[in-house]
Amino acid sequence: MNNLYLAAVINTTFRYTTPVLFAALGSLACTKCAVFNVALEGQMLAASFVAIVANYYTHNAFISLLAGVAAGAFVAWIVAVFQIKWKVRDMVVGTAMNLLVQSVTAFLMQAIFGSRGTVQGFGMVPLTKINLSFLKFSPFLYRMFEDLSTIDYLGYIVAVLIFIYFYKTVSGFHLLSVGINADAADSLGIKSQRIQIWAMVFSGILCGFGGVVHAMGNVTVFAENMTSGRGFIAMGAASMAQSHPLGAIASSLFFGTALSLSKTLQGYINSYFTEAIPYLCTVLAITIYGVVISTQRRKATIKM
Amino acid sequence: MDELKKKRLFDSAASPLIAILAALAVGAIVMLLTGTNPLYAYKEMFTKSFFKPYYLAETLVRSAPIMLSGVAAATVWRAGYINLGMQGQMCVGGLVAAVMAIYLPVHSLWGTALCILGGMAAATLIALIPTYLDYKFNASLIITTLMLNYAINHITNYFVAYPMRDTAGDGMAQQSVQIEQSLRFFRFSNKNAMNTSVFIAILVVILMYFVFTKTKFGYESKITGLNKNFANYGGIKSMKTMFQTMALSGALSGFAACIEIFGVRYRYVNSMFSSTGYAWTGLMAMLIAGYNPLLTLVYSIFLAGLNIGGTALQRTVGVPMQIADIIQCCITLFISVNFLYEFNKKRSGKCRKKVGKRWETGGVA
Repeated sequence: MNNLYLAAVINTTFRYTTPVLFAALGSLACTKCAVFNVALEGQMLAASFVAIVANYYTHNAFISLLAGVAAGAFVAWIVAVFQIKWKVRDMVVGTAMNLLVQSVTAFLMQAIFGSRGTVQGFGMVPLTKINLSFLKFSPFLYRMFEDLSTIDYLGYIVAVLIFIYFYKTVSGFHLLSVGINADAADSLGIKSQRIQIWAMVFSGILCGFGGVVHAMGNVTVFAENMTSGRGFIAMGAASMAQSHPLGAIASSLFFGTALSLSKTLQGYINSYFTEAIPYLCTVLAITIYGVVISTQRRKATIKM
Repeated sequence: MDELKKKRLFDSAASPLIAILAALAVGAIVMLLTGTNPLYAYKEMFTKSFFKPYYLAETLVRSAPIMLSGVAAATVWRAGYINLGMQGQMCVGGLVAAVMAIYLPVHSLWGTALCILGGMAAATLIALIPTYLDYKFNASLIITTLMLNYAINHITNYFVAYPMRDTAGDGMAQQSVQIEQSLRFFRFSNKNAMNTSVFIAILVVILMYFVFTKTKFGYESKITGLNKNFANYGGIKSMKTMFQTMALSGALSGFAACIEIFGVRYRYVNSMFSSTGYAWTGLMAMLIAGYNPLLTLVYSIFLAGLNIGGTALQRTVGVPMQIADIIQCCITLFISVNFLYEFNKKRSGKCRKKVGKRWETGGVA
């Protein structure tokens, strides 16, 4: 295994990290104000599909991005109305919404493109790629960051921005206070329900970015149920990061590595097994995380 | 009191009806957008799912694994835990049962029973893995069960793609060889897929109703679902309930898979449980039924009919068959809200000012 190959693997890792990172940030934004968002998967899938449809008609990457993000936000808004306004159980509305988006996209795919399975080609354009020419001196570094899109970099910036918003601004503090005790926040004049709905829509926007990158970042393609559990992987990433935005970068990179390994190992191990790697990694990671947390808690109680 | 009961009965009958009608309206709008006459499409859909003997048989056969996986989900959900892994449990149960049926020297009724027991045991074990991880390491049951679905689906597909693949025929389809004749469930005629397994599934679901309502286990799991702290205080070990319910759920999922393999397909086919979505349809049926097994049975048949009708619709009218899934999801969403309650709440909020205290005492004063 030579150096450039390793650089290519790292490059793939960055590509696979972005959707997970965005969705994880969306998940933790909801968790921070005491909303459990199960519909991440549906929000991502809706964004992927709408972005591809917009791309098919306009051949413009930016418009597709906007359309995809809007679709993610729209799905999130529906979920928010059901879950927060009408107090439906989160699991029920989340699961039903994931399945609904899955079937609606499959339905529209046949209605619009007349095909089952995958949509590809039609002169659809991918997201704008950035090549860092100042890294030319080192082929390794150049290959590592080759052809990443703007959104790939945006993910890390958004994570930092969310961190600043949560811990350094007043309105972020209000959001956190809703998460700690919604009734107490309400009594002090913070409209907790409105904040929760906005957090959900915000998570939809982030998942929208994730979904668009997933569909248009590498090859511009849509496949039936193409997110295949990434929303739930992101949920795992967010819970591993203990809902900390900067921690989410680390945990998302871990899952990005697992996802890219499942692709790069295909040359060595049967693809049926490598496909299972990211999911098994998620189970394993959540388990290890649980062990770490419980030992931490035990130590904390002993000290007290 | 009598009036209150009557009102409750009315509400419990009316809200599903409203939800179903609203979901059908959404389906109609979607069909109008694709340029189909919804009235004609619905007529086609319902005659080709419930009102013709061949399609009715198809519907009933399809509903069997759906109702079983629905009850499997209800077992866990009503105890306050979330199992989304019915699909993976079905894959494992089905694969193990198929392997036993193909490679072991088993014959006739006892052979079938042995294979089904093996499949159920395997599915139970798979269901207990995430349960143990939750109990020991506090790993979220929701994420682990769902992630295992994908992993198990890929791994079980490996077996029919390589070691167990049926190389006779055209060799293109990734499926195992057929199980032998004597192991199959009895079919009543050659014209349709109707077989004895459907009645067994219905019997099991009815049995589960009594387990839920008349046994200690059913009571304990219900109380755990209502309030974990209260259950623990009253001497119910909520962790034990989690293991019991997950094991039972796994066994039922495994049984659902066996019904499909020994009653309909007679072999294990690539992605046979993930592409058909039995587990998810079952989950929706039990959510609509509010964890009640008997209602789950009714709604499973209804949702299975929608699927069968949707497939017929694709063949004859050209509307993609996912229209059935859209309607199913909409029913689940709409029923979860209980619009009647929302409406009454708004109205009573307005009335409260006029009526004063009377509303708060429930109309007694």
